[in-house]
Amino acid sequence: MNNILEIKNLTKNYHTKEGEIKALNNFNLEVKEGEIIAIVGPSGCGKSTLLSLISGLDLDYKGNIKAKDKLKMAYMLQSDALLPWLTIYENAILGLKINHELSKENIEYVLYLLDLYNLKEFKDAYPKSLSGGMKQRLALIRTLATKPDILLLDEPFCALDQQARLLISDDVYQICKKEHKTVILVTHNIEEAITFSDRVIVLSKRPAIIKNIIPIKMNNNVSILERRKDEAYQQYFDLIWKDLEYNES
Amino acid sequence: MSPEQEKFIKKIKINKLKIMLWQFLIIISFFLIWELLVNVGILSAFIYSSPSRIITTIVGLIKDHNFFIHIFITLKEVLISFIIGLSLGFIIAIILYEFKFVAKIVDPFLTMLNSLPKVALGPLIIIICGANTKSIILMALLINLIVSVITIYNGFLQTDEYRLKLFKTMHANKRQILFNLVIPSSYQTIIASFKLGIAQTLIGVIMGEFLVSKQGIGYLIVYGKQVFNLNLVMSGIVLLALISYLLYKLIVILEKKLLKHL
Repeated sequence: MNNILEIKNLTKNYHTKEGEIKALNNFNLEVKEGEIIAIVGPSGCGKSTLLSLISGLDLDYKGNIKAKDKLKMAYMLQSDALLPWLTIYENAILGLKINHELSKENIEYVLYLLDLYNLKEFKDAYPKSLSGGMKQRLALIRTLATKPDILLLDEPFCALDQQARLLISDDVYQICKKEHKTVILVTHNIEEAITFSDRVIVLSKRPAIIKNIIPIKMNNNVSILERRKDEAYQQYFDLIWKDLEYNES
Repeated sequence: MSPEQEKFIKKIKINKLKIMLWQFLIIISFFLIWELLVNVGILSAFIYSSPSRIITTIVGLIKDHNFFIHIFITLKEVLISFIIGLSLGFIIAIILYEFKFVAKIVDPFLTMLNSLPKVALGPLIIIICGANTKSIILMALLINLIVSVITIYNGFLQTDEYRLKLFKTMHANKRQILFNLVIPSSYQTIIASFKLGIAQTLIGVIMGEFLVSKQGIGYLIVYGKQVFNLNLVMSGIVLLALISYLLYKLIVILEKKLLKHL
């Protein structure tokens, strides 16, 4: 597999009146095409900063972020960030509209996704009529609508209850595997990191450096719930727990 | 619909009716007590007028055909000042939002202008614009413009940070962020500024009419005072209360239409 993204010696400093805060220090990472990476670390260690730098939202950094040519990235946030004054369909096509990509083919793809996630019958309704899980599913459709090569997921399931969280994260997991999407998931949830990814990267507290890289070798062709039953699951959990515990002390 | 649901809906309707009934009772009692106190001589009819005298005065104004002219003049001045104030306020708020540096520079001036009693500018406005409708509109404009700018600008600033981040991750440009996110996000604040603005405009117009006009409800009140016709003064006040209530209700209807999905 080729590297779709390479990060070399990435350093990010924030400047405040109180002084300089080092968020990332000489951070290195290589991401392969189709790989799902989970990044875990203590609160405020710089996980979300890393995604902002990768996506190009923040261009003030030292080091090198090299992405494959014409790479399309899409972000999914902690909040569904739906626009309540737009219908479900209008929310789903928002990214396409902004980027002037409302082709017949893309619209058909959005309708297919709405159908796949049982939202097609609500397409003319407004977000307030949806449940929390359905809203997050719509946010996922909006993210996938632009057919990105890399999905950047910034704790996208943290606002959901446990049941919705498992169901939606499985939806995202299945579609990413099926469509061979590259994913970088930032989470503080160890279980989610193990069951969702091919590789877990444990970060130290700020300034973040890579504490440990744990390849996850479990069956890829089953649901997230099934992956939790895997024999190796608990071992991975203990390993990450130990790394994070060490970090906090 | 289940019987429980029907009962629930019925309860809400009855509650609403009860509130309306109470409001109606308060108004009727107020006018009845007023009328009674004047008729038994506890309150002076010359100073306090009475509801029956007010009705007679308004009927007299209608018969003279002056009634609708005065109302029309005041409403015209209110609408012109309101529309100009709101449009200008909206444009200035956009400029301040797009150019944060400018916003920081003008912030103390806006605060100062907002707290300045605009009636103090009355004599100056009359000297500059003359004793005419222009002065009335300018007076009302000065009062509602600053409120509109501050309210709408603060609404823009409250745009949800996740939605802003979402638009940036989609590589939306400034114009797309403004028209597709910031302005629609602020519908509620913009409507709130309508409500504040219409009340402030009416205050400004009446203040202006007190100072310079020859027609309008403010003029009726001032004229009534000058000729010691307190019935006319009270009629003007009642008409003003009715107009401000109706204008407010119009905005509430608009609010319900615009914000039904939020």
